[in-house]
Amino acid sequence: MSDATLETNAQNADANIKAAGRFNRFDNPWLNPKLLWGAGILLAIIFVGFIGQLTWNTDLVFTGSGILKLPPVGFENLRGQAGVWDHPLGTDGAGRDMLALLVIGTPNTLMIGAIASIIGMSLGIFLGFSAGFIGGRVDDFIRIISDVMITIPPLLILVVFQSVYGDVTLLLMSVLIAGFMWQSPTRLIRAQVLSMRESGYVKMAQLSGASTFHIMFKEMLPNLVPYLFGSFIANVTTAIVTAVGLEVLGLGPQRIPTLGRVIYEAINSGALIQNLWWWWGLPTMLLIAMFIGLLLVNLGLDEVSNPRLRKVQ
Amino acid sequence: MGKIPADYIINRLITFLLTIWIAATLIWLIPRFSPVDPAEIGLGRMAAGGAFVENSEQILAQLRERLGLNDPWYLQYWKYIVGLVTFDFGLSYANVPSPVWTLIAQALPWTIGLMLLSVIITFLIGNAAGAFMVWEKTPRVWKVIIPTLMMFTAIPPILSGLLLMWVFSVKAQMFPLTGAYGLQVVPGLTWEFVGSVIYHGILPALSIVVVTFGFWTLGMRGLMITVQGEDYVNLAKAKGLRPRYVLYQYMVRNAILPQITAFALKIGLLVSGQILVERIFSYNGMGKLLYDAILDQDFAVIQGVSFIIILMTAMSVFIVDLIYPLIDPRIRHSEATA
Amino acid sequence: MVLGNEDLSAREAATIRAQVESVEATSPTQVVFNLKNSNPRFILENFSVRIFGSFLIMPEHIWSEQEPATFAFAEPIGTGPYTLSSAATNRAIWDRNDDWWGAKTGFMDLPEPQRVIFLESGGEENRAQLVASNQMDVAHSVSLGTFEAIQAQNPNVIAWTDSLPYAWPDPCSRQMEFNTTVAPWDSANMRRAVSLMIDRQQIVNVAYEGTTSPSRSMFVQYGGMMPFIEAIEGAGLGINPRGQADEAAALIEAEGWTKGSDGIYEKDGVKLTANIHVNSASTEYTRTIDVVVEQLRRNGIDAKSVPVENSVFWGEVLPLGGYDISYSWLSCGSVNEPWASMSRYTNASIAPIGERAPGFNNTGRWDTEGTAAYSGIVDTMGTLSIGDPEVVNLVTEAYQFIANEVPFTPLVQAAKLLPYNTTYWTGWPTQTNNYNHPAFWWGHTHQIIHNLQKAQ
Repeated sequence: MSDATLETNAQNADANIKAAGRFNRFDNPWLNPKLLWGAGILLAIIFVGFIGQLTWNTDLVFTGSGILKLPPVGFENLRGQAGVWDHPLGTDGAGRDMLALLVIGTPNTLMIGAIASIIGMSLGIFLGFSAGFIGGRVDDFIRIISDVMITIPPLLILVVFQSVYGDVTLLLMSVLIAGFMWQSPTRLIRAQVLSMRESGYVKMAQLSGASTFHIMFKEMLPNLVPYLFGSFIANVTTAIVTAVGLEVLGLGPQRIPTLGRVIYEAINSGALIQNLWWWWGLPTMLLIAMFIGLLLVNLGLDEVSNPRLRKVQ
Repeated sequence: MGKIPADYIINRLITFLLTIWIAATLIWLIPRFSPVDPAEIGLGRMAAGGAFVENSEQILAQLRERLGLNDPWYLQYWKYIVGLVTFDFGLSYANVPSPVWTLIAQALPWTIGLMLLSVIITFLIGNAAGAFMVWEKTPRVWKVIIPTLMMFTAIPPILSGLLLMWVFSVKAQMFPLTGAYGLQVVPGLTWEFVGSVIYHGILPALSIVVVTFGFWTLGMRGLMITVQGEDYVNLAKAKGLRPRYVLYQYMVRNAILPQITAFALKIGLLVSGQILVERIFSYNGMGKLLYDAILDQDFAVIQGVSFIIILMTAMSVFIVDLIYPLIDPRIRHSEATA
Repeated sequence: MVLGNEDLSAREAATIRAQVESVEATSPTQVVFNLKNSNPRFILENFSVRIFGSFLIMPEHIWSEQEPATFAFAEPIGTGPYTLSSAATNRAIWDRNDDWWGAKTGFMDLPEPQRVIFLESGGEENRAQLVASNQMDVAHSVSLGTFEAIQAQNPNVIAWTDSLPYAWPDPCSRQMEFNTTVAPWDSANMRRAVSLMIDRQQIVNVAYEGTTSPSRSMFVQYGGMMPFIEAIEGAGLGINPRGQADEAAALIEAEGWTKGSDGIYEKDGVKLTANIHVNSASTEYTRTIDVVVEQLRRNGIDAKSVPVENSVFWGEVLPLGGYDISYSWLSCGSVNEPWASMSRYTNASIAPIGERAPGFNNTGRWDTEGTAAYSGIVDTMGTLSIGDPEVVNLVTEAYQFIANEVPFTPLVQAAKLLPYNTTYWTGWPTQTNNYNHPAFWWGHTHQIIHNLQKAQ
């Protein structure tokens, strides 16, 4: 089923193929518009977070730093209070500054995704190569375990974990999520290694007496980079979805602002019915932008790894 | 349609059983390392209700005995596994006399119903959109709108749920904010009740639909493009094969296969997504049960719900795995790979 | 039943067994209790609202054949005008019994509503939407913002008062308990310093959005308690609602703490920390503590909120004293006399450190010479009947030990904001029509229902 997975990615990428058609196939594949747009969105989000932390007063994330439930500048809340420039994006139900919350919460949310994904990826690369190269029992074991673990939704195991142990740190949560992020890279790499092992250049390298390590990391890994990138991005998405899910159930880190936590508090305080759209809406829109950015990057990477996609139509 | 090789089925079945067993073990193992004593929590619940508890040591000992905490770990584990096989998850800590299974049995039909509702809507909308995208007479606007909407496949349903809730329940007041049926309606097989259930189900279902319909759209679109004249289809026709055979053997397969694979891999995410949608809509299903249990720290219910959802996921994957070789001839011919 | 069954161990059973010698029914309408000792509070404590768990009279023809510890009493019967017609997990429907004895004998008219439905409606937003759309007549407490949103949609919805605070103060005012057995909180001056750092008005403004008021003493601010509260303030033992940060700093520095570069006090290289345990069951609790944490941090204490689940909070944190500081309402009890609340902090109820306390009295294990003196005065108070003029003097005398040693510190009054929908029914209890209090989950709902009239 693993090679079919690649086809799937290819097919996904097929969705917006028209735009790609404008590009000449001899252009640098890394400069396809989806990849650029996606990366642009993600970088913009990271950049805003970074600049924001440098320029905006992050102490405003604390309870009671402003009047409660102020709207963003240019709007009015149910009580007829207008937004003020001290809190350009308004305040939440405890008087915390929304801009400060977002400026701190957004990088935190992205960080959970990145850390979980990097750990998962490293594990996956190791296990995938081991399975593909060593073969035999080891391969069977790794294959079966990754097949099994890919079916188990991480959210539910983590719900059990976090409801028992209570408050967790950002890092611990990332590590826990990483425990469910290694399966698809493992399967991907294993399948690629199996097919590449038979290919000419690897055979050549083996004949010329290169060490297994050399073959794995010098000959094969570079060819896998686009796939790995794609898998990495897909994992970041899954990790963030899982983290947001846990946070919306009230199970994430309690005192550290994350986008999911802000949404959880907003829902719990009746923000929808009180017309406090900025409270739940801004983090929701940021997350949506993040996910769409990640999707575009993923589609773009597919075009890099599947040249077939670039020439059709 | 050939036969599915037996070793393929056995392989899949083993994976399925192994999945369940590993998940069940994880769920059992995790709370063992916690410093929290379930008996103390039981006592705390009494204290919170009655404000005063005498003979607490005695009650603690009784609770430990009843929860089987005095048994050695392997006996506890064995009892737990035997319990799971018979859907016996013990007693809920928070709703004291109710067995966990009773609570799950009340919630499960809602979750499955919502799932069916959203799958049906997804199938209809997805395929229609796919066909629409390829059809020559489709207005240009739609050829822009549909791919834009498909960007939504990237986001988790909880976010689409929030947006839909805001637009249709809070602002337009077209749909109810929460619940699975009207408070005035008495459950039963009446049109009023069924109507109310569908009315309450539409928004939660739509939140799932907008993030999943893309699968079917892509499949249908692929199919339509293929129908419009690929070389191998023409070739097949030229070879004089019957049109229906061509349609099935070449086109459906090539268009649908990758979607099914992708779908199988996403089932887990979809189910957990629906759980979260149920939580924000306070829909009477497993998601609400799970959320309430988290609030009450009702570990027995949390374990039971998690297990059942994992079981559902694994079963769906297993079924997809069984259907797969019917469509993909490679599996029938080659040895079953992962 | 209570006297004869040794297995019943709830507090109420124990109290009755300790107080009552025998009970006899002298006529069909008269029951006589023979007490072991004279007790002027017997009726008040057991047959009126005692905040929680008053004494209920059960139907003999049903209970005499049952084992009380296991009997579910699933189809309740009573003497009221409604009978249960159906119940499910999220609703119970009661229909009016038009043949009710009370109406026939002229005891009372039949109430107007023909059917009463109790619903479990989900979260606050759902309740709000149901009330706003006239599908629900009265709902459990909502936040001020939600109430404003309901009123904006449906002007027929009212509350206890017509303007701020809207809310009715529940008799359990909010406070923080100190664990007096762990350093540095074993020092009365440190506890006083924390109490002085707290800006109670800010808690009202931020956590309650103005729906309550700062506590002036340990007591609920009801009319019946005002003489005692005013006496305490008159003796100079009151609380400044804005706090006195300078005095707090002086007290802490006198204990040898100095502020580090990060603005947090240090002594011998150790930072001054305070973990505040709070029950996570309601945002009211956690939001209050969020505000307190910020106030303490601003004043140099590295405070942290530790939210714990309801049953862990009541089952482990409080009875075992497993906290530095905890948020609760454990001086709750008094509504028209001071003894019920004050008796909860005597040295009679101190459990040894590390052992489980049987109840929730003095969970901070305040046990000094001051406690002993305090307990003596409170015990004397207990022998006086309600309304005895001497009680006021005893209150101020005892209260100085609380004000000086601060085993707990009062925060704010509680607030319950209940939306009433007047579209179909009027006659809800309000501040101007205060025939009863509005907390309809307290077992007096029948009186509210009896007072409802169809809207014109």
